[in-house]
Amino acid sequence: MDKLFRISVTALFGAAIFAFWMWLYPQALSYHEQYQLFLFTWDYLAQRLSVSGGLADWLSEFLVQFFFLRWSGALVLAIVAICLQLAVWHASRSVRPDGSRFLYALSFVPSLLILIYMGNTEVLVSFPVALTLSVALCPLFARAGWHTLWLIPLAWWLLGPVALVPVLFAVLLGRRPLHWALLIYTSIVVYALYRLFLSQYTPRDVLFGINYGRLREMLPALQVIIPVVTLLCIFACAVPVRLRQMALAEGALLFLLAAGTLLGVKASYDRDTYEMIAYDDLIRHGKYKEVIERAEHYQPHSPISSCSVNFCLFMEGQLSRRLTEFYQCGTGGLVLPSIRDSFSDLTSAEIFFMMGMPNTALQYYFDCMESIQNCRLSGRFLSRMADCNLINGWWGSADKYLDILSKSLFYRKDALRRKKMVGSDQAVSADPVYAYVRAVRFKEDFISSYEALDLMMALLYNQDNNNFMAGEYYSVWQRLKKKEGGAQ
Amino acid sequence: MRRFLTALSAVLLLAACSGKTTFVEQLPDIYPDYIGVTIPAGIAPMNFNIPQEYDQVFVKVTGSGGGELKARGKWADFPRRKWDALTKRNVGGTLTFTVLGRKGGEWTQWRDFIMYVSDAPLTDYGVTYRKIAPGYTTYSHIGLYQRDLHSFREDPIIESTLTPGQCMNCHTANATDPAQYLFHLRGKNGGTYIQKDGHGEWVNTKTEETIGNIAYSYWHPDGRWLVASINPVRQSFWVSDHQPIEVFDVASDLVVMDLDDHSLVVDPRLTTEDFLESSPSFTPDGKMIYFCKAKAYPVPRQVDSIRYDLMRVPFDASTGLLGEIQTVIPASQEGHSISFPRPSYDGRWLMYNQADFSVFPIDRKEADLWLMDLQTGRTRPIDEVNSPLSESFHNWSSDSRWFLFSSRRDDGWYVQIYFASIDSDGHCTKPFVLPQKNPRKYYHNTIYSFNVPDFTKSKVDFDTRHVYRDVFSGQRVQTSVKP
Repeated sequence: MDKLFRISVTALFGAAIFAFWMWLYPQALSYHEQYQLFLFTWDYLAQRLSVSGGLADWLSEFLVQFFFLRWSGALVLAIVAICLQLAVWHASRSVRPDGSRFLYALSFVPSLLILIYMGNTEVLVSFPVALTLSVALCPLFARAGWHTLWLIPLAWWLLGPVALVPVLFAVLLGRRPLHWALLIYTSIVVYALYRLFLSQYTPRDVLFGINYGRLREMLPALQVIIPVVTLLCIFACAVPVRLRQMALAEGALLFLLAAGTLLGVKASYDRDTYEMIAYDDLIRHGKYKEVIERAEHYQPHSPISSCSVNFCLFMEGQLSRRLTEFYQCGTGGLVLPSIRDSFSDLTSAEIFFMMGMPNTALQYYFDCMESIQNCRLSGRFLSRMADCNLINGWWGSADKYLDILSKSLFYRKDALRRKKMVGSDQAVSADPVYAYVRAVRFKEDFISSYEALDLMMALLYNQDNNNFMAGEYYSVWQRLKKKEGGAQ
Repeated sequence: MRRFLTALSAVLLLAACSGKTTFVEQLPDIYPDYIGVTIPAGIAPMNFNIPQEYDQVFVKVTGSGGGELKARGKWADFPRRKWDALTKRNVGGTLTFTVLGRKGGEWTQWRDFIMYVSDAPLTDYGVTYRKIAPGYTTYSHIGLYQRDLHSFREDPIIESTLTPGQCMNCHTANATDPAQYLFHLRGKNGGTYIQKDGHGEWVNTKTEETIGNIAYSYWHPDGRWLVASINPVRQSFWVSDHQPIEVFDVASDLVVMDLDDHSLVVDPRLTTEDFLESSPSFTPDGKMIYFCKAKAYPVPRQVDSIRYDLMRVPFDASTGLLGEIQTVIPASQEGHSISFPRPSYDGRWLMYNQADFSVFPIDRKEADLWLMDLQTGRTRPIDEVNSPLSESFHNWSSDSRWFLFSSRRDDGWYVQIYFASIDSDGHCTKPFVLPQKNPRKYYHNTIYSFNVPDFTKSKVDFDTRHVYRDVFSGQRVQTSVKP
């Protein structure tokens, strides 16, 4: 009965996590996937393992590549959440094998906290992966004896600072002065590894993790709180509690956890941010109608949102007609100027590409990729950069990018298809998209300028009246410009 | 026993390459192109790849002065010590490469090719450079590195992981001696790190009287002075498929910095709004400064009108004062633009870039290296090393028998470092790219360009321990303008 209860609750929990990512916040999956490119090469593994926390990072990136597909991404996150929960429960069994059924609910707390924490879009999956593996190591550390001496540096190097969880677990479980000495030993080991191998990182990175977040300057409180709470939960789960009305208490605790998670998610998942990420995700997959439908119900007031919705309106042939129905912020909300971050310019880059400005699209995509804060490649951006290079006939760079992409799982097939075009203008011109961009692009060379973008669009349209996008964007730009002038 | 083992290995190798072998008269298509290059003895193994359709390569290297070396595998990967011994044994001679490739179980043997081993030794430890994604307005990972030229070892000097959000550039040593060097950090907590005789300091080189921080710098031989240009750099982007980027200075001035009291010598003749001055360098005797100067035009609109002449001005190291400015090459009159004049350290040659316009040859396809004989004043393009694509930043080895330069010739976009030697008559040898363990894999997979390369006489000593604290504390030695 007890086992069946545990299996049922865990399965239910897994299903809920799957549903959360599959239907509530699927855009987060696409967001994470587009800021990395997992490569099946030894060099890639070696690169990851060259810094502390590298194994967790490598495993995390391996898993995140499956976020390319919504269902597999949701499944991966559900499995990670279940693994963490089971690891906590398993660790608590090693404290006291006869723990009460009542406290099983507490083993879900770390996974639920992770769910809340991941509302911060810059938190990487490597953090839950590292935490899961660290918790899984707790029983091993508890009975490792002198082997702990080599396990500590190994775990710290492979998993990063959350490897302190099994060390503290062993210390708290042992409660002898010798065990407390492990903490001093760990400090010495960490300092030695830092001085020997991580001199190009800041002490702060070494203490709080190099690869747990995309922004290295970021240290949200939850990143420290979650491992501490996890440790507490391991011990709390092992506390033998006997209550008369067990079922009621269980229900109450589960209800409290669910309510707390709901509140946490509400506070952590910023609606505007996720709405804009959803627009980007849908545009990436060509679901323009869905963007318009979402915007009809709720639209964030920002240039990125305006740019995305306007683009989808154009793609659905509604831009001129329905322009005023949606939030506008002048010409800057039609096409964005170059902004130095990895997200804002994505729709604008797509607009430039489709309008016949591959160089500007290349610039925007390149800058987006170079703005990824943890310096990773992006499969999505690299793929578009390869497109732009093929269109320009810049074979060397195109070949390089396609070669890199061909070592990935989800970009491989398309990369190999396009690799056949390298060096052949004829093959590039036979591709309908490339041929179109080549046909409508500028015939004369000049230096582009965002300030003169309307004139550039007019030039594109005058050059080729088939470039309907340039014509329509030009006319809408003029309307918005007039409106801006009127407002002043 | 040793003879027996040698004989046995030879038999095994022959057996391994046995089967049908086709001889072809062409030279092998190797990457990088090392055919006919001249190398210094002791350089890292010149490993190379053959076309990917060949699954095995067998190479035998025979020295004209004796010695032999074999390599077999997916690419030609020579053992470092044996390679080192072979090149040192054949100084002034040649190495003959016999190359066989296996495809579909059958071997092809190409015509042998030769590599020359120069009698000019490479005495320097290695090279320094910056690695950065060649691109547009942003960068992710960036770092200054040093590479041992006698092996494949690369060490970071400083990487952006240590100073998040900061750009870094222009590691500049005094005539390749890293006892005196500097580099700049850009961004919110920017500054110039100057290390001299074991003591380092972070300096703010911007003053109220000057237009920005110093950028392109060059050490005076006595180590007291720096000559530098101040260049607020901007980029614009072309729309056609000819080339993507144009880099230009919105303004630029030239100053001399006295490191004894952190003061700037600001000469009004070199800080005018109407003219742009850039990329200065001292002659090895320290008595002259070479630099480039152009009439300013509105940018980016008339960026293609900005053409730099080669200038020089006498310098008095006792006072820091500049003499009469002279035009050395009025390149602008002939529709050309000169940049990065670099006198050799023996005072014999002056190497510079020439393009149609601009002072950033890296983004000009037509940019080439030129050489001026400082004894006769004669100039010529260095056809031995130039390519149809951009040749740009260059520097001399400490004995001035070798030089290195950046070029985009490999794939048109990612910059690599090339080396060549020069003899007393000014003849240069065919250049070779910086050797790598597995060159195709390395160069094809890298997403970085090699920027601002220079030789370094010995290993750069830079302690990263306090960098984070020092950079973000914002404490800087403030420069002033010399009265």
